[in-house]
Amino acid sequence: MTYSKDMLKMDCSAETSRIVGFIQEQARAMRRSGAVIGLSGGVDSAVSAELCVRAFGPDNVYALILPERDSNPVSAEFGLKQAKKLGIRTEYIDITPVLQAFGTYDKRDRPIRELFPEYDSGYKLKIALPPDLLARDALNFFTLTITGSDGVEKNARLGKDALNGIVAATNTKQRTRMLELYYASERMNYFVCGTTNKTENIQGFFVKYGDGGVDIEPIAHLYKTQVFQIAEHLGVIEEIRKRKPSPDTYSFIVSDEEFFFRMPFHELDMLLYAWEHRVPLTDIMGVMGLSEEQIKRSFRDFTSKFNATAHIRQFPPSPPES
Amino acid sequence: MGKSGLDPDGIKSSLRTFLSEPILPLAKVSTFSDDESFLEKGILDSTGVLELVSYLEKQFGIRVEADEIIPDNLDSLNKLTSFVLRKTTNVA
Repeated sequence: MTYSKDMLKMDCSAETSRIVGFIQEQARAMRRSGAVIGLSGGVDSAVSAELCVRAFGPDNVYALILPERDSNPVSAEFGLKQAKKLGIRTEYIDITPVLQAFGTYDKRDRPIRELFPEYDSGYKLKIALPPDLLARDALNFFTLTITGSDGVEKNARLGKDALNGIVAATNTKQRTRMLELYYASERMNYFVCGTTNKTENIQGFFVKYGDGGVDIEPIAHLYKTQVFQIAEHLGVIEEIRKRKPSPDTYSFIVSDEEFFFRMPFHELDMLLYAWEHRVPLTDIMGVMGLSEEQIKRSFRDFTSKFNATAHIRQFPPSPPES
Repeated sequence: MGKSGLDPDGIKSSLRTFLSEPILPLAKVSTFSDDESFLEKGILDSTGVLELVSYLEKQFGIRVEADEIIPDNLDSLNKLTSFVLRKTTNVA
């Protein structure tokens, strides 16, 4: 395939049929009669739900809406609206009490207070990587930002221990959702439908046994920009299609681009494709109008993230047979 | 020579020892040339960067600013040595 600006455009009708067939085949292989899906209010879960409904009919798709106290309120609102559009059953479960019982918020806040002793529940927080990788080179390190009711932002670079502490605590949110999804799916003899796309999968932007703990991944072969194409084709509600993708894990709104990807999706996906398929540098430069340095910088970032997260895409290893 | 008797060879030796220890994730490679890219060799990743920056600040008494955490400063032994020399000379 010739590398070009339009090369990620799909025949959405054909691709939908293909994915629906895949979902049905997997259900037969697993002997499951429907799908459970966590509707986050984002485009990936909305598209996955649409595909499951086309595979099984609305009566055999069950949606869980699983917010917690840091979730953006529109997430549940959009998730419920998308479920209503599909005509599927929903169950709303606020997972905050479970997280509180585990100590998620206390565990997360401890390293934050070491950096900002004044931090309390009145503050909002987010963590993010350096922005604009194409504009300016920087290695990957996270910066914590907190903001109080006065709107004043304070920033601190996160060291290894602080970052690990915050991420480990925060990951319990996705893992708790996995618990709820599997409880529902096993009760109903459904499978848990994943919602990870290719852009996320390649770079390890999902939580091991959290949102990565699922039975099938029907859109893990689609780049984010392709998910948006299919979303429009399938009629996902406009609020979701227009919403800026976000991990929705921190109380201070942060986009996927700020938090992890460091560049806009339309450029990211083209570069990811080029990196995956070893497209010649001169072709990439010609199509994207980027310099060799910018492209190599992006590829370095992709390789680093891909290698660092290889283990989360694999079955746990064991010694070979003797 | 930088502050407190720091010399380029001493800095380089200290850095090489640190980077050859297994505390850095992926740092299974104990041999690397002075000019080899840590990123390309898989010695440095996001957690490794944090460990390295923390080590530089503690070992050499410098403050590494956010906009200094770039490959040009950190991505080989020679680049690291030059960076530390610049920072320690400026502090003195």
